[in-house]
Amino acid sequence: MGEEKGDFEPKIVGFTCNWCTYAGADLAGTSRKKYPPNVRLIRMMCTARFDPMFALKALLNGADGVFISGCHPGECHYIKGNFYARRRIAAMRTILKQLGLDNRVKSYWISASEGDKFATTMKNITEEIKAVGPNPVRDEIL
Amino acid sequence: MKGTELNYGDLEGFLKGLLENKAVDCLIMPRRVGNSVSYMLVRDKDKITAPESAIFAPSFGVNAANIVKGWLIDEKVGIVAKPCETRAAIELIKLTQLKEDSVLLITVDCAGTYANEVYAANYADIGDQVDSAKIKELAGKGISIRDACTICENRLADIGDIAIAQANGEKAVVAGLTDKGVEALTAAGLSLEEKDLEREAEKEQIAAEAKANLEALPKIDSEAALEEFLRDCIVCKNCRDVCPVCYCKDCFFDQPLGNPAGGDLLNLAETRGAVAVPANQLLYHLTRVYHVCTTCVACGACEDACPKDIPLTRYYPVITKKVQEIFEYVPGKDVKEPLPFTTYEDDELEECLM
Repeated sequence: MGEEKGDFEPKIVGFTCNWCTYAGADLAGTSRKKYPPNVRLIRMMCTARFDPMFALKALLNGADGVFISGCHPGECHYIKGNFYARRRIAAMRTILKQLGLDNRVKSYWISASEGDKFATTMKNITEEIKAVGPNPVRDEIL
Repeated sequence: MKGTELNYGDLEGFLKGLLENKAVDCLIMPRRVGNSVSYMLVRDKDKITAPESAIFAPSFGVNAANIVKGWLIDEKVGIVAKPCETRAAIELIKLTQLKEDSVLLITVDCAGTYANEVYAANYADIGDQVDSAKIKELAGKGISIRDACTICENRLADIGDIAIAQANGEKAVVAGLTDKGVEALTAAGLSLEEKDLEREAEKEQIAAEAKANLEALPKIDSEAALEEFLRDCIVCKNCRDVCPVCYCKDCFFDQPLGNPAGGDLLNLAETRGAVAVPANQLLYHLTRVYHVCTTCVACGACEDACPKDIPLTRYYPVITKKVQEIFEYVPGKDVKEPLPFTTYEDDELEECLM
């Protein structure tokens, strides 16, 4: 609260799939890659478990950003879960774009072997969310 | 397509014939009560009188598809309704909330409608039916059609099983759009000939006007604008209850997590310092717009039902249209086309995830 744009530590809620991005985060850790600690990861078995309501709720409860990531399309552990997830995320982001809320949502595909990509992505999205500024709903009564 | 031209006076016999010859077991159709028009469910053909005074009436109260939502019965229901209502029924079939074999969708041409209370109050001016010239003339007198109708691109009857299209001079063309429709028409005793109901030029003109009207609607383009827009919402959930394609039996917002009360609400107020009540106003509308984003037929029933007069047509149909565009999906157009969330392509949509 009372924090200025660019000069605050954003809270980002991350929804990641067990088989790819969560393992990717593990690899980043075991490879001792440094990345900002702003993302709080929530592990789900597949991005298809991601309900857009999770992102809406996180944002309305004051999260500065939402990060969603799973296996690359075509490499889903459950064969096609992330294809369905991609449609849902695309629909959600199309809605949020029109309402000017999409700049707080980030979606990526990061595999279990991409520890480097995970660390860089964390750095990038933390910077991006810092530039967007603190979520104004934190100071509002919603 | 196969059809025939009927005088208005013959429509009564045609609809009675559907019941009499068991083409349908019952009919949901508009009926006139004085200045007003509302729906009735008919089993006895003798209760149908002068349908021509009601079925073309530019009055919108409820979406007829909402009446049959979740009717998983084996008897066959005929629904005489406007194109947006037929589209909603088709979406319900895809959502398995209605059996395809248990409905006969009879779509009537629509020129645009007035909210039913506006229609009843101005019946003397509006009459039994209108065309676009009459709508313009009435708008000059301050009697305007619903916003949802001004942005509607699909007003001509071209979906469902049977189309009832207006022709010149108190005549209607009744045509079968599917095999089921043709069968029903034949069963009702009509002799059919080849009819052309494409009306491409007219459709293009309607679509162009609708697009321009959509562009002219005030935009909700920021979180602040959305909060302002929904400020007076009392979370009564009427917009959900009248929505033909909002169909969950157990709505999230009727459950403790979505509709917190008592200790749950105190806990929320404890973590946040203060919480607005009724709770979840923004979350409700954001979740609902996602839930109907591919199936919203833009009928505007939500706006009509809002007790606080929030112009929801600027929100639900407008926001969902963009989603339908990314999937190149027109809800209610084709009963065989899968719902966007039930299918996928290997390589698609990456541009929406940037």
